[in-house]
Amino acid sequence: MSDYIALANQDLPSQPMPGALDGPPLSAPRWPGRALESVAVWVVLLLAWSVASVHLPLGDNPLLPSPLITAKVLWESLPELWAGTLSSLTILLPGFALATLLGIVTGLAVGTSLRLQRMFLPFAKVAGPVPPTVYIPYAIAILPTFRLSAIFVVFIGAFWPIFQNAVAGAHALEQRYRDNARILGLRGFEYQRRVVFPAALPHIFTGMAVGLAFSFILLTVAELFGANAGLGRFVQYYADFADYPRMVAGILYTGLVTFLAMTLLDRVRRRSLFWLR
Amino acid sequence: MGLGLKLEGVSFAYDATPVLQDIHLNIPEGQFVSLLGASGSGKTTLLRLAAGLNEVSSGRLSWNGVPVRGPSLERGVVFQDYALFPWLSVVDNVEIAIAKAKPGIRKAERLSEARGYLRQLGLAAAIGKYPGELSGGMRQRAAIARALALGSPLLLMDEPFGALDPVNRARLQDLLLEAWELATPRKTIVFVTHDVDEAIYLGDRLIVLGSSPGRQIAELPVPLARPRERRSLLDSHSLHHALREQVAATLVQDTLQRLRAA
Repeated sequence: MSDYIALANQDLPSQPMPGALDGPPLSAPRWPGRALESVAVWVVLLLAWSVASVHLPLGDNPLLPSPLITAKVLWESLPELWAGTLSSLTILLPGFALATLLGIVTGLAVGTSLRLQRMFLPFAKVAGPVPPTVYIPYAIAILPTFRLSAIFVVFIGAFWPIFQNAVAGAHALEQRYRDNARILGLRGFEYQRRVVFPAALPHIFTGMAVGLAFSFILLTVAELFGANAGLGRFVQYYADFADYPRMVAGILYTGLVTFLAMTLLDRVRRRSLFWLR
Repeated sequence: MGLGLKLEGVSFAYDATPVLQDIHLNIPEGQFVSLLGASGSGKTTLLRLAAGLNEVSSGRLSWNGVPVRGPSLERGVVFQDYALFPWLSVVDNVEIAIAKAKPGIRKAERLSEARGYLRQLGLAAAIGKYPGELSGGMRQRAAIARALALGSPLLLMDEPFGALDPVNRARLQDLLLEAWELATPRKTIVFVTHDVDEAIYLGDRLIVLGSSPGRQIAELPVPLARPRERRSLLDSHSLHHALREQVAATLVQDTLQRLRAA
């Protein structure tokens, strides 16, 4: 003990103890440093990209356009990308909204009824894990328009995760809330709306996040097949012309849109689940 | 008329394990009964049976002459673990009860009535808050406000103050007694607790359950005048202490008997 104090005192010779706030940082630095940690990763990646695009011997039409060229092309293509975004959203939004609505309604109904569970869960176990991409050619074949088939595929992809999580959420409803609802005489739709749905909401949002990520995958894949506009179509179109700068710009732009959509959903989740602590 | 809660030879088994055995109780309307017992004596089960959350395995359980089958607004419950809905504000938690108790009235009226109950329980400042923002004591007050708002003539309370600190516990005991004594007609209350002092302070009558399986081992009237005052109760040792000794002796005897039998 006394040795330890002696050693500690050697480290701070003949100086008054520094205050906790103005002393030298003992652990990781605070705000500016922490924020810079993630910026550093971006900078390193950008540098690596620049160096690779300049120094790799790729000829006149490099597969890897430099960040500067990509940024310029991205800027030029913004109107076209924006139009593509709107076109994609007319597929994504209806498909995802329908999946959310039906996934929640059927999931909560199945999750609260033993009978419906006996009836439907075996089917859900078989149908749920089928990769939704395999439906794409068939959907295009049997549905009258490409848009309708793409909406259908997005719907299928987003539906199962939302359904499964809604079932799990209804299952996880605590006994005390069930007892309470019974004491208060809450039944049927009122019970679902005021008790089961809010209690299952954390699970439902998890399902929606998975479903939204799936939606973007299926949207872009579907657009590779037969769209004449949209984000996936943009990338596919310029790939046909070997216009790699536009392809990369399209990939980056699609990534950004996906990120924004996921962030928006997360905001909604946080707002809705304010009561969860 | 005036039959109250009646248990005739009530037994309950859970997965063939007897939890309650041959319970006979007659709790007249307006009486405040404290149900005492060690853990495992089936106190909570008895309450759940009376609430209609579970069904008796054998025997007859009736409220005002009508056999209990399933929950009803006639029989309100306050649980130990403040089972308010965390996604509803405090006032909405009470309003939902009023909506059920008085289906005819408008939302604005229901809300103002709910605020009235919350004020009565000293929760004026917490009306718009959510259960997660409240302390345990405040949450339990809100749960009691909701039970009162249901307007049930029978109130079943399962260790409602079990998780509270002594100061809050005493405060809520007084608040409950006040609300009960002021109401006309008085509610019938079955109050489950394992705290002997609490049982004596609140109840007209003590019912003591023995453990494994739960059965009645004693029934004692509490001949203390109302309104009760905590201080005078503690000062006048004799009655309170005699009751306490009696309850303790009964419980010890039950334990000894069980040990001998084992």
